[in-house]
Formats: sequence, C-alpha cells, structure tokens
Amino acid sequence: MKICIACGMPMENASDFPGGDMDKDYCVHCARPDGTMQSFEEKKASTVGFIMKTQGFDESAAIEIALNGMKKLPAWKHCF
Amino acid sequence: MVGHYMKSKRQIQKENTRQKILDTAYRVYMEQGFGAPTAEIAREAGVSHGSVFSHFQSLNELLECLIEGFGTSLALEIRRLAEESGSVEELLEMHLVILSRHEEFYTRLMTERSLLPKEVQYTFANTQTTIAHHFSRIFEEEINKGTIKDIPTHMLYSTWLGMIHYYLWNKDFFAPQGPVISRYSRELKDTFLTLIRC
Repeated sequence: MKICIACGMPMENASDFPGGDMDKDYCVHCARPDGTMQSFEEKKASTVGFIMKTQGFDESAAIEIALNGMKKLPAWKHCF
Repeated sequence: MVGHYMKSKRQIQKENTRQKILDTAYRVYMEQGFGAPTAEIAREAGVSHGSVFSHFQSLNELLECLIEGFGTSLALEIRRLAEESGSVEELLEMHLVILSRHEEFYTRLMTERSLLPKEVQYTFANTQTTIAHHFSRIFEEEINKGTIKDIPTHMLYSTWLGMIHYYLWNKDFFAPQGPVISRYSRELKDTFLTLIRC
C-alpha cells in the first residue's frame, strides 16, 4: 500500500489518488485542481486550516502540529 | 549467499528486538506512567540498558516511535470503521469500542501528556487529526440531513471527547474495579446523541 509523500495518508483505493491515477505518489487531498502536487506553503496552510476546523485548536498550536508532521514526510524533508 | 543470509537473519533479530522493546515500553508506561525509567523497560524486555539505546538514539526517539505507532494504529482503526459507518451513532459506538481496547494506555496519554517532550505531543496530536477528520465528515453529513443540530463540528468533537476524557480522568471514582469505557459506553453515547439530535 502506498503512503502519500505529502501528508502520510495510506492510499488504498483509486479514489485516494488524484484523478484516480494510482501511479501518483501523493493523494487526492494534496493535489491542486489540475492534478499537480501542492507546494509546501499551500500544504502547510491547508493542514493548519484543517486542524483548526476539525479540532478548534489555536492557530499557533495548529502550525506546530502541522510542521511537526510535515517535516517527517518525504515531500517536505528538504524544506526543514 | 551465506553472507546475505546471515545479514538478513541479523536484520530480523534486530527488528524483533526493537519491536520487543517497543511492546515492553507500551506495557511499562501503561502500568507505571511516562516517568518510568528506561532501565525498567530494558529489564522487563530482557535486554541490556545499552541495547535500548542501540535501537533508539534517545528516550525522545523511543517515545516518538511508540506514540506515533500507537496514534497511527488508532487512526487506522477509526478510518477503516468510519468508511463502513453510515451514522454518527455507529461512529460513536465504534470509537468507544476502539478506545476501550486501549483504555489504559490512552488514559496515560490523556492524563500525562504534558510529561512528554513537545515533539511527541505534536506527533500524537497529528495522528488524532485523522480521527477528528472522520468525525467531522460524518457530523457534517448528518447536519446536512437535518438529523443532528447545526453545531460547529469541532465543538461536537470536543464535547464528545470531553465526556469520555472526564470519565477516564476520574476512573477511580467511576469504575474503581475495572474498565470505565465499557461500563459507561451506552450511557455516554445515548446522552451525547440526546444532546445533539434535532
């Protein structure tokens, strides 16, 4: 099973991949509408927003949680 | 070929020892809390104290691997069940079943989180975001159907966790002789549903 290089999500079904393309290494949530992978800043902003929306955390905590997760992922290692 | 075989065998032994240390750390921290010394983990695992640090560079790394593994497996269990679940009620039921399987370790995490290094706390929080996502998705579906009240999903999630964590925090009063979640799961679920249903 593939793991998304940009968010770590397990990708089991075609619906987990952008445009159903199972050759991609990133998931549907990390793709832009045109199918390319989001940039570091785009992914950081969407992850922070996601944490705040789903858990209601303060923005500063959400940023720490998001960056802590991103720094371990293959897509973003070079950004730290 | 022989060299290759020997290397594989060593590799397997190494992985087995690493897993044994992690499994033992889970049990020792569950029983004694996160203040338990690594020497105790080594003794319980039947390895030398030095061996713990040949597999993990530091205590932080051991905690990071342990907590990330625990959080990820919780999140995967919820994800699998959430994909099959059609309603908030089913999701709540399944969430309680999963937490009750890991009640003691999860309680340690809730009550002693501040004892852990910040990085480890963030790692656990990150794995819990997946769980929050599945709750949010199923809450939204029912809000849109008009079956539950239109309350921000993060508040629904916080309220639900707040109830569970209160019982875990006060387990000695609620269930001094046994697990608290299985004893109160029906009451917790039914009360929460009564509060949020339209």
